[in-house]
Amino acid sequence: MMEFVLFLGLCFVLGGLAVASNPSPYYGVLGLVVAAVAGCGWLVSLGVPFVSLVLVMVYLGGMLVVFVYSVSLAAEPYPEAWMSWGVIGYGFGMGLVVVVGIVVGGVLGLLVDVGTVNSVGLLSVRSDFSGVAMLYSEGVGLLLIGGWGLLLTLFVVLELVRGLSRGAIRAV
Amino acid sequence: MNPQAKLIFAISLLLGTTITISSNHWIMAWAGLEINTLAILPMISKSHHPRAIEAATKYFLVQAAASTLVLFSGMTNAWHTGQWDITQLTNPVSCLILTSAIAMKLGLVPFHFWFPEVLQGSPLTTGLLLSTTMKLPPMTLLYMTSHSLNPTSLTIMAILSVATGGWMGLNQTQIRKILAFSSISHLGWMVIIIIYNPKLTLLNFYLYTLMTATTFLTLNSMKALKLSTLMTAWTKTPPLNAMLLLTLLSLAGLPPLTGFLPKWMIIQELTKQDMATAATAMSLLSLLGLFFYLRLAYCTTITLPPHTTNHMKLWHTKKPTSIMIAILTTMSTALLPASPLIITII
Repeated sequence: MMEFVLFLGLCFVLGGLAVASNPSPYYGVLGLVVAAVAGCGWLVSLGVPFVSLVLVMVYLGGMLVVFVYSVSLAAEPYPEAWMSWGVIGYGFGMGLVVVVGIVVGGVLGLLVDVGTVNSVGLLSVRSDFSGVAMLYSEGVGLLLIGGWGLLLTLFVVLELVRGLSRGAIRAV
Repeated sequence: MNPQAKLIFAISLLLGTTITISSNHWIMAWAGLEINTLAILPMISKSHHPRAIEAATKYFLVQAAASTLVLFSGMTNAWHTGQWDITQLTNPVSCLILTSAIAMKLGLVPFHFWFPEVLQGSPLTTGLLLSTTMKLPPMTLLYMTSHSLNPTSLTIMAILSVATGGWMGLNQTQIRKILAFSSISHLGWMVIIIIYNPKLTLLNFYLYTLMTATTFLTLNSMKALKLSTLMTAWTKTPPLNAMLLLTLLSLAGLPPLTGFLPKWMIIQELTKQDMATAATAMSLLSLLGLFFYLRLAYCTTITLPPHTTNHMKLWHTKKPTSIMIAILTTMSTALLPASPLIITII
């Protein structure tokens, strides 16, 4: 079980590496999917599966789908591909170093805990979705601020990309 | 820009600043910082010029990384101590991460590289916002956590900031870049005293905001962006140029102008705390800044006799008087006699 959680962590970092080193957005999106799924698995191992499911639904099922649609609208006929094997070699080497470091460093026990009272099973009050309920009741201020931040992001993005060829994203 | 969009961005700037400075939970502080970062991006890239877009991109990347570090520092502290209070930052890793995060947010050396280019790529009014309003939340976080941060790293960053601000500003001809380096230098003065007397940091920040606002608004009314334009801009409003001379010398910290007050108080407090070497180093390094302030002042007030030129020269256009510039100029040059009052209030 511990090794699986470590493998999930490795996949998360490798997904990040794939996003950062992508030759074209389509391959970066693949890295994002791997990283998101690995992150959700890590959240399950921490004992909050509800938050993990919400993340999968909103991130992969919402934002990534919209991203794929808009990218496919602006698709280029001959995208670049991952030609170099050096990236994969670096990824394996880095993963090996990280895993060996963690095992030798002896922090393995800190990563995976025994399930506590309200974090596993089907109890009526659990830490993750009770937390979401608290966000809507006691923490309504933070909810409103978070909602305003997201709305602001929409307006900022719309302002930054308006103007077609005269706007910010133009071929200069 | 669309007026409704401009209203939303202005409201979000005020909201983000207010959230961070009134927060005592790390999540609220982080949310305010993020809202601020997002809201100022379209203001930087308003003209859609490639340099403005590059400035907006650089600003966003640096500030997003710094906000992430703020969040990680708060989360690590919550993991180890079980509470999210900003004033109760006890984990040493969190303190170190927060020091570098605040340094990135403010533009302290060695995280200052984004600041001159971002300021150069943005319009003058947005540059004013970047130098004053966007520095208020990180300064507040620094004030609230000052007792937990490492004094050695803060002192080293402060002295290096004054040095970098002075040296790098020497070869600049673009006024916004000069003001960026002046900001870095002033931030060094603000940070060196925060462990001994945090009220002096806030005093320095408020007076610096005053003087910088005066400078930016004056330059905006003269539409002068580089030294060569500044030389011939005196014809538009001659008295304003004379007052810009005094404002720039006040920024440099010369007595009997307002800018001398924070430096005087900081040197006094440093000497009392047995840090006379640091005080001497800061004063000597501020002399470098004095050179480019003097050059700016020289360019504003040089008056040439009427003569034939081979370029179009502006003359005495009917400009409406701006009461804000008048009030700010008076305050940024004449506040030194009221220094006991100011020190008691701050």
